Amino acid sequence: MIAESAQRFQALEAQAQRLMATFTRAGYEHVAPSIIQPATMFLDVVGESLRARTYVFTDPDGDELCLRPDLTVPTCRLHLARHPEGAVPARYCYNGSAFRYQQGGDTSAHPREFRQAGIESFAAADRERADAEVVALIVEAVRDAGIGSFQLRFGDLGLFRALLGALSLPERWRRRLQHQFWRPEAFRAELNRLTSAEALRAPAAMAEVIDRLDPHEPAAALSEVEAYLERANLTPLGTRTLPEITERLLAAAADARETPLSAATANAIESYVAVKAPARAAVRELNQLLRGHRIDLSGPLRAFQRRLDDLDDAGVITDDAEFSAEFGRNLEYYTGFVFEILVPELGPKSPLAGGGRYDSLLAEVGAPAAVPAVGSCIHTERLLAVLQGTAA
Amino acid sequence: MSEKLILALPSKGRLMEQCATALARAGLSVAKSGSARGYRGEIGELPDVEVNFVSSSEIAHFLHQGTAHLGITGEDLVRETIPDCEARVGFLKRCGFGQADVVVAVPICWIDVGGMADLEEAAQIYRRVHGRPIRVATKYMNLTRRFFAQRGVAGYRIVPSLGATEGAPAADLAEVIVDITTTGATLRANGLKVLSDGVILKSQANLIASKLAPWSDGAQRAKAALLARLASWEWAPSAPPQSKR
Repeated sequence: MIAESAQRFQALEAQAQRLMATFTRAGYEHVAPSIIQPATMFLDVVGESLRARTYVFTDPDGDELCLRPDLTVPTCRLHLARHPEGAVPARYCYNGSAFRYQQGGDTSAHPREFRQAGIESFAAADRERADAEVVALIVEAVRDAGIGSFQLRFGDLGLFRALLGALSLPERWRRRLQHQFWRPEAFRAELNRLTSAEALRAPAAMAEVIDRLDPHEPAAALSEVEAYLERANLTPLGTRTLPEITERLLAAAADARETPLSAATANAIESYVAVKAPARAAVRELNQLLRGHRIDLSGPLRAFQRRLDDLDDAGVITDDAEFSAEFGRNLEYYTGFVFEILVPELGPKSPLAGGGRYDSLLAEVGAPAAVPAVGSCIHTERLLAVLQGTAA
Repeated sequence: MSEKLILALPSKGRLMEQCATALARAGLSVAKSGSARGYRGEIGELPDVEVNFVSSSEIAHFLHQGTAHLGITGEDLVRETIPDCEARVGFLKRCGFGQADVVVAVPICWIDVGGMADLEEAAQIYRRVHGRPIRVATKYMNLTRRFFAQRGVAGYRIVPSLGATEGAPAADLAEVIVDITTTGATLRANGLKVLSDGVILKSQANLIASKLAPWSDGAQRAKAALLARLASWEWAPSAPPQSKR
């Protein structure tokens, strides 16, 4: 888009004012974080794939800066500048531009400069209540703006974590499955590996070292690996340390001795991932599924139910909301509940609004410990396009 | 713009020499026109071709912008420099020189890392231990991002490197590198090894056509005449032998 008309600009501004009025009425403080952000810290958090879409530049002092690709990280930084300890309850709202390179060029469906109107809620003790509050407020804002019918979609990465926690398997396998969760192919490959004794045996290249390592003797393993490197005349190079190398070799040694994951357990995990149903029916489905596998997930499922109840109390009708266990896979900084608002005019690939829980982000941005956080933002150009009947 | 076809050729280094030799073998004599230091040239046998001598990476930009119809340069540079390159250029012929692999290399002492999946795990642990993502030194930022994303490696940061990339790990500037190699000897001499599934691209010099250049009838005819002279060159895999234009 080369330019927008003054008329369109005014329309977006007027719409933003209504959205912000809804947010501030609910007790969210209106903030305006800087558009230009330090690149290094920002990009360490969002990762290299978003970096490819971030406008990064160097100023005359040699500092690497970027145009913010979203407003969540800047809002986290603003919060920490005020409260370095992090865990101080606070609720913020914002409306402002974000910038992303668009592979297919700068188009009205995917502009490189767009405005996000959103809310963030930090350090609320009752997580489910805070989740419900954020969804309810975004729904209210969208309704006030004039959207009559829409679909809610939920996911919950916390439920998956709880499922892994309830299964009997080594902690390192839990970590791996959780880490791979957002990449379906790698996830399936890892699950296959864990169920095969043959695949679990050490890769041939490493067998010589791994055979010497006792998973229960990490200290001895460290000197064993050091001695091996010396014998092989391999000098240490770079900043990656010997303990890091040993940790992975020990994990491989432990895997080689481990009983493979039972087909039933792998099956339970796969069945969970496949669950997709209206939210309340999904809870029943999950209860049934897990009972069959004798897995107790009643606590986390009750929490899920409570979130739905809170939503109903707040006037959000959850009957038609869809739960998909897979949803949230492609959004890496989320750690728990996720949601999006879909409208037919935009289709399932361009949600009108979306958000979720990201309990580790504040610590990554500099808080001394993890701080509960949940937030959401509305794609304001999409909202306007739907209201004006110009959505593609 | 004239009816002539503009052919961009490397202006310096080994690639320039190899280009001249290969074209001479095909019976084409490339000569600089005007002063010897000039950057324009012509091919005696093909009067409708105008040669532009520019640096290899600049050739990729020329093709991207359509300021040259054809160019000879490394596939690696074209794939790195031109976003969505299949839509903007066509790889016509392989030149048979300038071979180089773009590879992911890590220190040989990383005995626990053999492939990309290992690298992903090592990167996770690295972040936990060091409080920052593992660094990858490269001048191939786009190729690296695309390849790492395909292989599911996410927890890393690129450190742009303009030269002597293989020295980055020893200088503590990066832990991993993505660079070109022919025999792997330089990598080994710097204590590095290529990952088993870490070959991003097997590159060589290619004759490449810009899809965005103004293809007048004259330029089309000149292209056909040039291709006829280069009949012995192997077609690039993405460009099946074309019928006469």
